[in-house]
Amino acid sequence: MAEKVIQIEIKRQSGPDAPATWEKFEIPWKPGMNVISVMREIAANPVNANGQDTTPIVYDSNCLEEICGSCAMVINGKARMACSALVDKLEQPIRVQPLTKFPVVRDLSVDRSVLFENLKAVKAWVPVDGTYDLGSGPRVFPQQQEVAYPLSNCISCCCCMEVCPQFNDATGFVGAATIAQVKLFNSHPTGKVLKEDRLRALAGDGGVQECGYAQNCVQVCPKQLPLTEAISDVTRDVTLQVAKDFLRA
Amino acid sequence: MATAARPDASPSSSPAARGPLAGGVEPLRAGKGNSFLLRKLHSLSGIVPIGAFLIEHLLSNFEALKGPLAYANQVKFLNSLPLVRVLEVCLIFLPLAYHALYGVYIALRGKANVIYYPWSGNWMYMMQRWTGYIAFVYIIQHVIRQRFMGVSLPEHPGAAFHKVQMELSNPWMLAVYVIAMIAVCWHFSYGIWLFAAKWGITPGETARRRFGYVCAVLGVVLAVMGLASIYAFVGPNYKNAPDDVMPAQTRLSMPAPHDASLSQGYLARI
Amino acid sequence: MAAPKIIVVGGGLAGLAAVIKIAEAGGNVDLFSIVPVKRSHSVCAQGGINAAKNLKGEGDTTWKHFDDTIYGGDFLANQTPVKAMCEAAPGIIDLLDRMGVPFNRTPEGLLDFRRFGGTLYHRTAFAGATTGQQLLYALDEQVRRYEAEGRVRKFEGWEFLSAVLDSEGVARGISAMDLRTMELTTFPADAIIIATGGIGAIFGKSTNSVVCTGSAQSALYQQGAWYANGEFIQVHPTSIPGEDKLRLMSESARGEGGRVWVPRTPGDKREARSIPETERWYFLEEWYPKYGNLVPRDVATRAIHKVVYEHGLGIDGQPMVYLDLTHIDRATLNRKLEGILEIYEKFVGDDPRDVPMKIFPGMHYTMGGLWVDFNQMTNIPGVFAAGEAEYQYHGANRLGANSLVSCIFGGFVSGPNAMAYAKSLKAAQGDGGHAQELARQRELNQQLLSSKGKENPFRIWRELGDTMTKNVTVIRHNKNIAETEAKIVELMERYRNIDLSDRSQWANTSFAFTRQLWNMLQISRVVAQGARLRDESRGAHYKPDFPERNDEKFLKTTKASFDAAANEPRFSFEDVDIQHIPPRPRRYDAAS
Repeated sequence: MAEKVIQIEIKRQSGPDAPATWEKFEIPWKPGMNVISVMREIAANPVNANGQDTTPIVYDSNCLEEICGSCAMVINGKARMACSALVDKLEQPIRVQPLTKFPVVRDLSVDRSVLFENLKAVKAWVPVDGTYDLGSGPRVFPQQQEVAYPLSNCISCCCCMEVCPQFNDATGFVGAATIAQVKLFNSHPTGKVLKEDRLRALAGDGGVQECGYAQNCVQVCPKQLPLTEAISDVTRDVTLQVAKDFLRA
Repeated sequence: MATAARPDASPSSSPAARGPLAGGVEPLRAGKGNSFLLRKLHSLSGIVPIGAFLIEHLLSNFEALKGPLAYANQVKFLNSLPLVRVLEVCLIFLPLAYHALYGVYIALRGKANVIYYPWSGNWMYMMQRWTGYIAFVYIIQHVIRQRFMGVSLPEHPGAAFHKVQMELSNPWMLAVYVIAMIAVCWHFSYGIWLFAAKWGITPGETARRRFGYVCAVLGVVLAVMGLASIYAFVGPNYKNAPDDVMPAQTRLSMPAPHDASLSQGYLARI
Repeated sequence: MAAPKIIVVGGGLAGLAAVIKIAEAGGNVDLFSIVPVKRSHSVCAQGGINAAKNLKGEGDTTWKHFDDTIYGGDFLANQTPVKAMCEAAPGIIDLLDRMGVPFNRTPEGLLDFRRFGGTLYHRTAFAGATTGQQLLYALDEQVRRYEAEGRVRKFEGWEFLSAVLDSEGVARGISAMDLRTMELTTFPADAIIIATGGIGAIFGKSTNSVVCTGSAQSALYQQGAWYANGEFIQVHPTSIPGEDKLRLMSESARGEGGRVWVPRTPGDKREARSIPETERWYFLEEWYPKYGNLVPRDVATRAIHKVVYEHGLGIDGQPMVYLDLTHIDRATLNRKLEGILEIYEKFVGDDPRDVPMKIFPGMHYTMGGLWVDFNQMTNIPGVFAAGEAEYQYHGANRLGANSLVSCIFGGFVSGPNAMAYAKSLKAAQGDGGHAQELARQRELNQQLLSSKGKENPFRIWRELGDTMTKNVTVIRHNKNIAETEAKIVELMERYRNIDLSDRSQWANTSFAFTRQLWNMLQISRVVAQGARLRDESRGAHYKPDFPERNDEKFLKTTKASFDAAANEPRFSFEDVDIQHIPPRPRRYDAAS
């Protein structure tokens, strides 16, 4: 009996300006494989389906537990984490390509630094006085913690931005992930000292207003963040802030 | 300080961390630009005054079910409102033009991806844009053909029923009106839902779902009313309505500038 | 005088903690990380972080935390720094709390604490099941704040290759490779802090992340840094074997009644549920009737290992045993274990409510690491180390939830010490060795690029992982370790015959990996030989031939130094600081 084989097609690109081509591979099936382990098999035996020597696939990955946010890619048309994409649950040939809204570094590796820039722009931090011992933090009741915790689970994978029809070159939309972080820090007893700054930042071009409420973000989020709720809440706060600033000006 | 002794070792001369690759989506322009205001205005204008006007218009059209005379009276009533021209320009024409043009601008900048992500919210997103386009094209022709061409209704409100009936006697035109009626009602009712979601009125999942039912009912009611009005013009009840049910009607006595007719008829017929 | 320039390598908890302290003290920091720092391996920690806050009225004290840690580590850790860590821990928790970590709370709004292994107290603060992630994010946010202020420059997507040492062997910077352009550059600094985590990758598959190769530590070791206690590797009894890595399965599965078994027939192909009770071997229950499936971690780990490798009874011939919850009703499972069962479902694709889970012990934590003094400085002047990359807080075995506190504490100690060192540093002679180091690194790259052999680096890595996992993890026999040593030497030979299937100079991850691989091979020898030399059993290090702890001979820190001429490690032993708590026997039936 012939060995069970995994058919996989990977969109490859040798550099940011190089043309993209699809390359096919046939990899011996093993139980429990995910897309990452298929690519590791390719690395250990870099030969494509036509029997030609090729190079190992370049992709981002780290924890492989869906918590570091590295390995987001488009698999069979959907943005998702490659580590939790089990081969046995995917239709074959498996088609893997890089996220489409971010500049490709090489093959499946993309540059997602825009998210980190956005987090900087909205001051997504709690401005503590210093790291020396200042005693206990503010009291936070379990009910508040239960709101904050899911937002704090964002792994910066950028899937929410990838699937958002409004996140593109034309709009320069900030995306759901950053907006959710604004809600998180605005709700922290100390973090909210920067609330007005964050809201004003989000009223800038590319801010909350660009959301078209397609709600793809909340569907795709591998960590099930309440993104649409965050967008709603933050947009309301931004609107009130803008109105307040207008009246005080 | 050790490094200070070496000219090549000061922080400024060591290689800098590289920036993001070119070609990506640009980061947030924190606090810059006025797209927030423009966008909010767009969102708001869809509800008030455009949405309010739409409801008025559909109610007016509904009078057609009572016959050509009732319809003529409604046209006449609307044209008798004080400052009707000012109201019309400020509350209808300008907001509508803004909502339409900025809406097209918004729609053109979105990259619909419902093929890859065929989820309900995404369908609605795309539908909102397509119904917007339909409304845009439809309203332009509607204004041109019903306002600028043919008999001028502010001067002859009694001719309103006949004029519409003639228009709808063309089956292609009838199809256009039916499609546009559904599209506009859809666009408006989903617009209300979007407005509530995006302005933070319904942030919660449950609230949004419940309000979704409310909006759906509203949309269906409006569409049914609109389609019923269309039926009044093409159905058997008022076949071959007279050219003018108020032949004695003269110009309205309100002080009107020379082009008052242009705006007055507009109210009832968009 | 310009502010000191410190380079921190590694953006996990330890690295970020160091960065924050330096920036706060007015220093300038260049932070190097292979991955964006927010994606560092610290995100994987789940359980929590220990600190004797005594918020449960139990009379917990930092001394008791200290004692638990030393005892849990089988007295191998130097006691003075551990004591300092335990004393600092409550303040660290408070700081993290102030930084916005969403710790679980009591109804009164105070920090909640849970119990963890190795202690009788509720000492572990936690944020759901993702404490490490939440802690890392909190520090990442603070660093982003300093980055926005221009105090910190991040070099994400750069790989540390070596320290730049001047003619006197003093660190003057680092050499690094841009993982996009593959360019080599040296960066000047007055001191460097290595916070590059564990070395899981030398075991092939582990619970560690992809970047945890130990390459940085190994590079420094090859430059003269001592590597201490390399043989102490923690293996977690229940991890989910995957084709790509091992993922942790929480001990609570056994706590809720999970039973561990294998089919009695080797290579039994039947589906688990169709195997009758009489043909199942509940070996933990048979061997340890008193504790059953809830024997302490190291005992469970060893038993599973034995059943698979000595009895050859792994499921389907694979190194796996069943962890069975299917006898418990779904409602109970969903109520108590839903979160962890979902992880299994997501990554394995089977529902553990219907099908027994397949688990196996997994390499989890590196207790050993770069040798450092109590100021966190290695024996190379100007090179500091913190976090899992160094050796000093966990002795022979790490207690759960102590790793996060040791990382942050190590970072907090190393940062200010590096600043103090930098301020007193004399100017370097000439260029401080930059040109020479750059030339050396270029040559290493060139050698690899021009190598025209037949060996695939990923296959060499697999073989390394297989032999290391088989012989140098749970149960160690000197004969087997010697085999592994020979194997490593063979792999090193084959490495010289490597075939880079990708020679391009743009984002060439396999090239970067191949460079790491050499360092992995070197550090593997340190681990293997250290294990061979330690003829006793202590903490995670277990030799059936020497089942007892031997304080007389081996209450010592193993120190490996690199003999460049012979291309192999040399070992010496250093006395352990036991001035606070005299060693006493550590027994399985006591707290562990």
